Amino acid sequence: MINKIILISFVVVNLSAKEPEQGKNVYENHCIPCHEHLPYSLQKIYMLYLKTFSGELTFKASLKAFLKSPVEETSVMPDEWIENFSVKEKSELTDKELDEAIDTYWKLYDVRNTLH
Amino acid sequence: MSVSKNKGTNLLRRSEKSSLRRFLALYFTLVVMILSLLGTFYYQSKEKLMYSDQRTILSNYAHEQIQQLRRLHRDFPQKSDYPRSSEFRSAIYDIERSKIFSTLKHPEVNFDKELHHQGGMITSVTYLDDYYLGTKYLFIEIDEDKDWYSGVMMEIFTLGTIILVVLAIFGLFFVNLFLRPMKNSIMLLDDFIKDTTHELNTPISAILANIEMMNLEVMGEKNNKKLSRINIAAKTVSHLYQDLTYLTLDHNRKSNDEWIDLKTLIEDRVEYFAILAGSKKVLFSLDLNYSTIFIDGIKIARVIDNLISNAIKYNKRGGTIHITLRKDYFIIKDSGIGIEAEKVNDIFERYTRFNSSEGGFGIGLNIVRSIIEEYSLKIEVASVLGEGTTIRVDFLKGTVDDK
Repeated sequence: MINKIILISFVVVNLSAKEPEQGKNVYENHCIPCHEHLPYSLQKIYMLYLKTFSGELTFKASLKAFLKSPVEETSVMPDEWIENFSVKEKSELTDKELDEAIDTYWKLYDVRNTLH
Repeated sequence: MSVSKNKGTNLLRRSEKSSLRRFLALYFTLVVMILSLLGTFYYQSKEKLMYSDQRTILSNYAHEQIQQLRRLHRDFPQKSDYPRSSEFRSAIYDIERSKIFSTLKHPEVNFDKELHHQGGMITSVTYLDDYYLGTKYLFIEIDEDKDWYSGVMMEIFTLGTIILVVLAIFGLFFVNLFLRPMKNSIMLLDDFIKDTTHELNTPISAILANIEMMNLEVMGEKNNKKLSRINIAAKTVSHLYQDLTYLTLDHNRKSNDEWIDLKTLIEDRVEYFAILAGSKKVLFSLDLNYSTIFIDGIKIARVIDNLISNAIKYNKRGGTIHITLRKDYFIIKDSGIGIEAEKVNDIFERYTRFNSSEGGFGIGLNIVRSIIEEYSLKIEVASVLGEGTTIRVDFLKGTVDDK
């Protein structure tokens, strides 16, 4: 019986610990590799999104919508950028993966953590 | 008849004073209410003006802070110090009303009121179009100007006092204007009495002197009765003359106070009124101890004369008058018609009479009261309708001879 409890506890702890880890992996594996070679850093893009959408929910919903269906009209990037690099391709990630990646992105650059 | 200025008649009667007091109370209540209302409006307009000034100041601060946020947004995260000022405090909130950063003293913010006044602080909210650092709502907080409040209150108090004084002067002026017809009527009556009084003196003196000189022994019984009636009538008129003279002429003369033997005085006045009392078969019952009082002789005689005269006038036929004199008081008690309890306080008013069937002007007890008040004596009236009236006059310590 005790062995069962220990096993279940181990699985639960492992799963809950795995979720953010997964989000971080999605972000690191699917976002950073492309963006790290671009002149506009992810942090700068974050500030553009923040300036345009303000709140966390609006920010995340707008970014997700863009990633799922990227068009010039909904892009927050400057015109020069779009002229040079065009609009990104549609993301192949699932909704869950996108949510996890965007959560990680939000937390990483949230201004509340840095302002003092 | 012309209306002359007379010190005695210019004095307001009690009823006039009472009317004056009521009018002034009503007038001042209304004035104070109107002034309070005006003060409130003035305060509100000044408050609006103050808020308008503060709004301009807050707007300038907000503009300044937006520029700082714009620069910080551009340089973020290399620069991450939230812009602060010694002039104001601020807070930024995102579009979902979630706090980003705040330096406010008062943590509660109002998103829907452009200007918020709470806890001695004024807070303004500005809505941003470009969400620098995610800011949709920018709050600017400053301390309320406390000098403004004391300044405005001082202005209201000073202006209110000046207006109140000016209106009080106007009030008094209007009261005098409204009371003038009433005062003129009283003065006319007083002047008429005064003029008539002069003409009464000589014939009454002549009648009384001649009656005194008549030899009653040689006259028949019928003529004696007739003469007695003439004597009574003349004395009644003489008594009225004395009152009128006192009221119109002697009232303002300087008192000539001296020690008066009250026992002798009362006996003398009883003897004077004996014929008058005899006509109604009213009997005197005297219980007089020796007493002296330091007072004007004419004035105390007016008091006693009027009290005895009333006791006879309003007595029953065949009634009695008990006069008691002790060291520091005297009592005159009659067995007359009495006075209704609610009218007891009015008997001292001038031109008020117990009973319209009796003659007189209703000035006797008014004279009594004026003398009583002048010498700070105490008068008490106890009356039972149909049984009689008891009037007690107490002398104050110092006016009676303690020897």
